[in-house]
Parts: sequence; structure tokens; C-alpha cells
Amino acid sequence: MKLKINDGEFVIETLIIMVLLSFMLIIGLAVAHIRNLFSVVILTGIFSLIGAVIYVVMDAVDVAFTEAAVGAGVSTVLLLSTLILVDSKEKVTPGLNSFVAFILVTLTGGVLIFGTIDMPKFGDFKAPIHNHVTPRYLTKSSKEIGIPNVVTSVLASYRGYDTLGETFVIFTAAIGVLAIIGRGRRKPEQAIKHAKGETFDDT
Amino acid sequence: MIPNLQHKTILRVVSKFLIPFILLFALYVQWHGDYGPGGGFQAGVIFASGFILYTLIFGVTRVRKVIPSWVTRLTLALGVLIYSGVGIATLIRGGNFLDYNVLSENAIQGQHIGILLVEFGVGVTVFSAMVTIFITFAGQNRN
Amino acid sequence: MPVILEFLSWLLMFSGLVFCFIGALGLLKLPDLFSRMHAAGIIDTLGVGLIISGLFIQTGFTLVFAKLLMVLVFIFFASPTATHALARAAINGRVLPNVKNSDVPVPVDNNLISGETQN
Repeated sequence: MKLKINDGEFVIETLIIMVLLSFMLIIGLAVAHIRNLFSVVILTGIFSLIGAVIYVVMDAVDVAFTEAAVGAGVSTVLLLSTLILVDSKEKVTPGLNSFVAFILVTLTGGVLIFGTIDMPKFGDFKAPIHNHVTPRYLTKSSKEIGIPNVVTSVLASYRGYDTLGETFVIFTAAIGVLAIIGRGRRKPEQAIKHAKGETFDDT
Repeated sequence: MIPNLQHKTILRVVSKFLIPFILLFALYVQWHGDYGPGGGFQAGVIFASGFILYTLIFGVTRVRKVIPSWVTRLTLALGVLIYSGVGIATLIRGGNFLDYNVLSENAIQGQHIGILLVEFGVGVTVFSAMVTIFITFAGQNRN
Repeated sequence: MPVILEFLSWLLMFSGLVFCFIGALGLLKLPDLFSRMHAAGIIDTLGVGLIISGLFIQTGFTLVFAKLLMVLVFIFFASPTATHALARAAINGRVLPNVKNSDVPVPVDNNLISGETQN
């Protein structure tokens, strides 16, 4: 349902996005405040799910798909499996309330928000981002690449080098986890054999 | 007295029914990235979630019999190798790095081949990364 | 599409909305973990079922109909299983149902007040 008013805004869509964003704000504050880590993990999953719904309302279906699968799916499970290794309650560190820090953060945030007033309106035709390469991608994609989904053509062909970098980042993340936590549990006999160098390692 | 909860009968039966469909859907999303939402990242995550479901219900030891650790290490590097390999193949055939036009006589067909191979590489790496991270965490003992 | 079909589909979707709201209200207000799972079950079966039935009428017999049907089937498989797993985990974590006089034998842990978790 889209109702146009004078300058072409979509009322219901904007209302839905504002309500969902306020949910996300409340969830963010709750995540910072709650001490029980299990609740925090579930709230993080809900945060990603609401983010996915907002992406759908904004017509960005690929991003919504990825956000729902990664954020609300696998990421929640990975965080829950991390809770095996840590306490289930966050430790309260005393003495962190600093008035100066609060003032400094508020001032920086205020300056940043003031800086965004000059930015072009959301979705403006004359914004620089829509006038540089985006028209070329949108108009030439079907002739040069020939697949219906422009998101995939931009991701894999026009910006293929960036996607190569992303793949390397994911690869490095997995290598990092293997290097830090490494091999799984080991029986004591196997640990002794491994220390003596008599066994090939297997996770 | 607490009932005996070691026999996860319902969970085993339902997951044995659902996991093939999850993997099939992941393959569908992988190859239909050209025509609808999808592509490598989503497909890798969904494929990994099938294996994560198996791990949650049947245990780390059994899933290590299904995919041993050398397999995940191999596929982790294989995906990145496929992606860079496509780039090097385009270099060998005379174009720029990752210029898919030179992969075939017809430029559009070259683009299609390039995109399919590249998305496959991304899917394989994302799948093995997720499975590696989850099994590494799940295989730890409680403190 | 004839007006009567459109009206029927919007009626189904609206009643699905009503049941989702009832389920959400129950999720907030019911006293015990296990009764809250019943409320969540209402959302997963009646809520989703009615909304998808309304969408069936809107699309007719196309590919989208088949995809919606498969979504419904998989939700009907996955949601009761998830509820079952949650109930198993709850009993494993010593959260017991809050019953007063019942013929069904309820697992009793004498060290805990029923309804409280172990942590």
C-alpha cells in the first residue's frame, strides 16, 4: 500500500520502517543493558531478523536473504555455541561510570548527526552516488552480461574484485578460529602422545 | 524423577527428513543466483546450516565421520582457489584479471561461465568456513 | 480477480493477523513456560496457515502457489519439532510445569520450586 503525498513520499512504507527501526533501537539498548548472555544472544538474533524485514520493505531482497540466513540463522547458533566456553552471566566491572567520557561521546555523536543534515535526501535522483557508475550498471547490465538479476551481475562481474576480497576475509576468519581455538578435545593419552610427537593431529 | 532424555527420537526422525531438503534448497539458491535472489553467500550459509543441524542432533563425533577435518580444510582453500583461478585463467587467455569476456568466444557466454564459477567458489568457501567455526566451537569441552 | 475472491483472501489474511495477535498476547501474559509454548504454537499454525491461505487465493495456480505450499509444509514440519526441542531442553534444565492437581505423572525435582530455572 503506497499513498503518495505532495513530494512523492510513501506514507505507509515510511511508517513501517520507522516502527521497525524503533524496535531495533529498543533491542540495541536492551542488549547493552542486560547481563544474562543467553538473552542477549537471542535478542541479537531478533535484531538481525527485524533488519531483514526492513530490507524487504526497502525492496532489497538479496540483502534481506543474506541478513536472515547469516544474522538470524547461523550467527545466533555460533554465538550460542560460544556460550559453552564462557559464563552465562556478564561480569559487572565496577568503576566504569565516567562523566567526562559520556560528555565526549555525546558531543561527538551530536557533531556527526549535525554533519548528516547536509547529506542528500534518501533516494534522491541527483545524489552523486546515483549519477556516477550506477546508471551504467543498470542500463548496460542486460546487454553486457545478460542475466536478469542486476545484484548478482554487479557483485560477481562489475565488482568481482571486491567479492574476491570478501571471500578472502571469510577464509581468514575461519583460519583465525582454527589458529586460536584449534584442535578439539583430546583424551589424556592422546595429549601425551601429541606432546611426544608420536601422533598425527586430527580435530 | 526426570524422564530419560537421551533418546532424541522425534528430533532424529524429523531432521533425517528435513536435511536433504535443506541441502537441495541450498543448491537451488546457488545456481539460481542469476535469475532471482541468491548467489554464493546465501547458498553457502544454508548448506552449512544443514550440517549444523546434523551436528546439533547427532553430535560432533558423528559429523566428523561425515566430513572429516581434512575435507573442510581442503574446501576452505578450494573455494578461494577457484575464484582466483578464474582470474588467472582470464589473464592467461589475454584479458585483464577477472575480465570474463575472454573466457569464451561469445562475450555474454563468457560472462555467464565466469559468474557461475565465481559464485560456486564463494559458496564453497562460505560453507566450509561456517562448518569449521561451528564444529571448532562445538567440539570444546565445557569449562 | 472477482471481488468475492479478493474479499475472501483479505478476510483470511486479517483473521490470520488476529490469531497472530492473540498468540503474541498469550506469549506475554501466560504464567508458565509450557503454556507460553502453546501460544507460540498458535502463531505458527493458525496464524501462518491463514495468512498463507489468503495468499493462495491471491496468486492462483502458478509457480508461486507451489512455493507457498512448500513453505507451509516446511513450517508445519519444523515448528512443532522446535517446540518439542524447547520442551526437552526446558525439562533438561529443570524447569518444570506448573500444575496443581493432575492425573498425569509430572516429573518432580524436590529441590526446586516449579517454574524456576536452575540458574
